[in-house]
Amino acid sequence: MSQLKYLVIYLTLLVALVLMILPLPDWAQIYRPNWMALVMIYWSMALPKRVGLWFAFFSGIILDTSLGTLLGQHTLALVLIIAINVNFYQRIRVLALAQQSIYVFVLLLINQVVVAWVEGFLGRSTPLLAFFGAPFIGMLIWPWVFVVLRDIRRKALLR
Amino acid sequence: MKTIIEVRGSSIQALFLIAVSIAMMVVDHRFQHLEIVRTNISLALSPVRYLVSLPATGGNWLGDWFTSHTELLNENELLKAEGRILNARLQKFEILAEENARLRNLLGSSRKIADDVIVAELLSVDQNPYSQLIEINRGSSDGVEIGHAVIDDFGIMGQVIHVNAQSATIILISDPEHAIPVQFIRSGTRSVAFGRGSTRQLELRYLPATADIKIDDELVTSGLGGRFPPDYPVATVTAITEDRVLGFVSVFAQPKARLDSSREVLVIKPRQ
Repeated sequence: MSQLKYLVIYLTLLVALVLMILPLPDWAQIYRPNWMALVMIYWSMALPKRVGLWFAFFSGIILDTSLGTLLGQHTLALVLIIAINVNFYQRIRVLALAQQSIYVFVLLLINQVVVAWVEGFLGRSTPLLAFFGAPFIGMLIWPWVFVVLRDIRRKALLR
Repeated sequence: MKTIIEVRGSSIQALFLIAVSIAMMVVDHRFQHLEIVRTNISLALSPVRYLVSLPATGGNWLGDWFTSHTELLNENELLKAEGRILNARLQKFEILAEENARLRNLLGSSRKIADDVIVAELLSVDQNPYSQLIEINRGSSDGVEIGHAVIDDFGIMGQVIHVNAQSATIILISDPEHAIPVQFIRSGTRSVAFGRGSTRQLELRYLPATADIKIDDELVTSGLGGRFPPDYPVATVTAITEDRVLGFVSVFAQPKARLDSSREVLVIKPRQ
């Protein structure tokens, strides 16, 4: 029973995955925030003992298969930002939501750099608007993601 | 607070996972070994993909349900007329096909006349917005295999690159990583058409400046390389730019297939 409640974490990640592949009109696609990264940042901040690098690694592989990208592209990006987060979460956790958002923006930007860098290797360029647009939207919705996931965590009695 | 050993442990773990990710990317890019990992994860996730494509499918269904009676009658009338025209043309084609077969027999050539096809529909799933990949609802259980060509009513769309049991991923001819061997119908010149990341344009690079090419020339598959069956329409030439220094021309062509709007596609199974 005590293990069962951690299923909630997997459920939130599944919802993030659905949001990542949900069809959007063409113009909106490039502004789609990286839901997977947002949810992973939250859990690794809230439950760093349970949700860490291996979690990021496997979510990344699942994301890569779902998006049809090179196997390892989003994995590398996710592992990198969660590795950074693992070292900083104690200082970030106590900040106000607005300040956290800026930190999340930086993490999402690093994520974007890695993804765009690999795309560049494959000969595909990332439009500038897409490069900054998605992390920016991610920053704006971070407070809501944080509050929703915190409520879920409290309801599920995860600590 | 965390101890130094803990911090060091997590850094080593991070470096290890980063190295594994990079290794995976290299292997995935150059070899086929990770295909099985991809296939199995995709299979496990297929319920999620169907869930995601459900609203679009439901929307279509509702749209069909509420189409008015008169609209249906009109459409029916139109389709009947179109059917009559197509039938009339088909009679001609049948005669031509027979004649063709007879002539080929005379020449002793063994060209296949028709290919087997699998009818498939697009799944409404967004993938990486910078690459030109689409997903269809037929997979290995229907006989789809990696490398099969995919067409719509107007021309070549792309080829299959990943196959799961119930679905398959198709790379469009417009993807920057894709190239297709083509031939000009009028002059017979052979070349290779590269994708440029836009569904409206292909590029043929480094053609000799003396090549006989005009705007509106039609391009068909040449069948070289063995991936695409020969003689399917690919694109129409829209622009020719000349590099006077190097003596080459680059040709731009618009794909015939409706890469961004076709919903029903055909997967071509090459005959053994």
